Amino acid sequence: MQRTKKFLTYSGLLLSGTLLLSGCQSTKIERVDSNQEIALSDNWNAKDSQLVAEAMVNDMLTFPWVSDHLKYHSSKPAIIIQSVRNKSHQHIAVDTFLNDLKRAILRTGQADFVANSSIRNEIREERKDQELNASIETQNEMGQELGADYALSGSINSFVDEQDGQRVTFYQVDLRLIDMTSNREVWNGQKKIQKHQKRSRFGF
Amino acid sequence: MLLFLFNLLGYKLLYSLFIFSAKDVSLKVFHFFPLKQLFVCCLALIFLSGCNTIHANKSAILQIEQGQFTQAKQTIKQNYSSVGRDRLLHELELATILHLEKDYLQSNQHLERAKTHIESFYTISVSEQALAMLSGPSFANYEGKNYYLPLIHYLKALNFNSLAQLNPSMRETYLDSSQVEMRQLDVYMENLKSETGGYKKSEQEDEGSLTDIIYDILKPIAAPETLLENIEYKDDAFIHLFSGLLSEQNNDLDAARLQYQRAAHAYENGFTKQYGLADTTEKLALKNLARTMKLAGGYRSELQTLLNKHTSLEVPEGTQVTIIQNLGIAPEKKQLNFMLRAEARSKALVMYPIFIGSEQEKREQRLWFQMLYADTSLFDLMQNYILGDVSDVLLGTMTKRIPLGSLWDEAEDIGLIDALEYGGRISVSYLAPPKLPIRKTEIWQGNKKLADLEQFHSISQLALQKALIDAQSEIRIAFTREIVKALTARKAMQVAGADQNNLLGSFVKIASTAVNAITASADTRQWQSLPAQIRLAQFSLEPGLQNLTIKTTLNSGRVIQQSANIDVQGSMTVWHTRTFLNAAPTVNAL
Repeated sequence: MQRTKKFLTYSGLLLSGTLLLSGCQSTKIERVDSNQEIALSDNWNAKDSQLVAEAMVNDMLTFPWVSDHLKYHSSKPAIIIQSVRNKSHQHIAVDTFLNDLKRAILRTGQADFVANSSIRNEIREERKDQELNASIETQNEMGQELGADYALSGSINSFVDEQDGQRVTFYQVDLRLIDMTSNREVWNGQKKIQKHQKRSRFGF
Repeated sequence: MLLFLFNLLGYKLLYSLFIFSAKDVSLKVFHFFPLKQLFVCCLALIFLSGCNTIHANKSAILQIEQGQFTQAKQTIKQNYSSVGRDRLLHELELATILHLEKDYLQSNQHLERAKTHIESFYTISVSEQALAMLSGPSFANYEGKNYYLPLIHYLKALNFNSLAQLNPSMRETYLDSSQVEMRQLDVYMENLKSETGGYKKSEQEDEGSLTDIIYDILKPIAAPETLLENIEYKDDAFIHLFSGLLSEQNNDLDAARLQYQRAAHAYENGFTKQYGLADTTEKLALKNLARTMKLAGGYRSELQTLLNKHTSLEVPEGTQVTIIQNLGIAPEKKQLNFMLRAEARSKALVMYPIFIGSEQEKREQRLWFQMLYADTSLFDLMQNYILGDVSDVLLGTMTKRIPLGSLWDEAEDIGLIDALEYGGRISVSYLAPPKLPIRKTEIWQGNKKLADLEQFHSISQLALQKALIDAQSEIRIAFTREIVKALTARKAMQVAGADQNNLLGSFVKIASTAVNAITASADTRQWQSLPAQIRLAQFSLEPGLQNLTIKTTLNSGRVIQQSANIDVQGSMTVWHTRTFLNAAPTVNAL
């Protein structure tokens, strides 16, 4: 009987200890630098988006289309972003790297961007509203929009190879800039990203 | 190790409780009732407690049939935690409810989480396995089946397709997203095919030799072996066809052509036969293949070869509409119980099935047992004859015997025979026979019948075949688990000094057997809200808004009508709906 009571006491302690330890697992959140890569999987992530944007801007501005444009026109080239089709196997927020790209080009001051059609329509509605409700001095005229000189479009493709817990994912982003007057392709940019993921079959 | 200690601790605590209760008058009851008889009653009660009750997800789908979406979501949230061992079911069932409620974006979020859970289950948790071994399969994470991932992608793609139809300004983005799902599925299918070999053209069979003929005559005796042939999930013709349709709808004709080709190949080489589908499956895939070759251009010789091979093939022209009907509810997973005894006379471990439930359920359990487990093979009958007597041979159809022979003494030495003195419970799952009382389903436009919806996939057959494949390993694991548990309990009693041959010793042994029996329940969890069948029809229609009605006629003569306005555009328009057999006679499908 004495032995059983002793066992019960130890068992109780062991049980409480384990329960306490299991209670230690809680949600932990910390702030990290947005440039720091935290890759939890081989999925497309913020770092990939950033890498693509950087590579594309550097490449785009080394091509002679800006200087060629300035030779014949008095104003900076204006670009409109058309569709960038996601033909990969991942849901990729294309807007994130396009916005990075846009910001980087605008910062260089070498080109302008024209708002896309849905934003243009919203602005036109706003101008219509101004015609009715804003004072004449502050109204913005209709028909004074900047027409785009170049159209940016492209696609994202991917391949996956997988076997025995290992997976190689390859992403390729292709962008092109088309002269809207001549349909000439003045720039073609490409960025490739390859990732290797290994997963363990057993864990604790 | 920790889990092992826990189990040990459980028995120790149990034992201690009995030590204290020994002082109590309650133990005196045993002076009046014979111990074994009392235990049999006790075990019977435990078995009854394991009776097939309606699962919460089945209740939820019944609520959906009545249009009670809020209650259905509540039922799932209350019964399946989003962080517990049923987290996969939580996501899957909620995703289906939201899909049916037409909240497609939310549905996709749950499906994405379900996908992440399935990915995480790739790594087998050793501690989880140990827990399952010392308790029961339902105490482990529910990891789903191998055909869940394709269906998750299918459902996600359907959601994106609906979003594209509901948001014309975002049409291209959503159609691209639906194709992203199909590309992910393609990766999965390629792996599945490389693992299983996929569907291959069968070679011309030679005329059978005498041995083959005799083997064929005797085939029924060895039912399990033949029963389990060619029922592996090795490729999915319907998913390829669906992927082709979505690609064509999104003007990706090259991808569509490849997928139609894969669909035709799989349907032709076994998929149609394996799942008992309509004869038209392969033909539709071939028609679409020819059509996309024509539309894409540059395939003149390939097209000619295809048309020469299939001379009756008519290539449809004009705008095509494909209607996909997800029909009914997947069959329920239930529990089949066995009593495990060590039989000294024949030196064998014997499992006796216990049929519980309604008459229908008892019949299902008996058939499942006889189909998969009973000692009906010639070898088993011989074993029964050698080890027992004639009655054992006759009993063969109602028992599963594991002859130990010379291992009996070893089993005695390790305490296995003693541990099974009061028997043990083994529980496995079985699938209720898939039945869908459908006479026909048709598509009408006004008073004109456009097409019959035919069966292009059978989820219930898929689930049944997977259950048949898993049945052997499931019973082996259940058997091993119960023996481990019985031996662990015996060890625990030895540590506590309760293994004396007295009333208290017997009581502790009974109690530990009872605890084991309670935790022995089979894992009957499954994605219940899946449809039983997928039907499909394709026909030409003028572009523009078209009003269509799907008429589903049940065997009883009752007709369920679903109407919708479909915006027909491009070379292909894909539209889907879900039909419940208990739904109101007229349902607005959009």
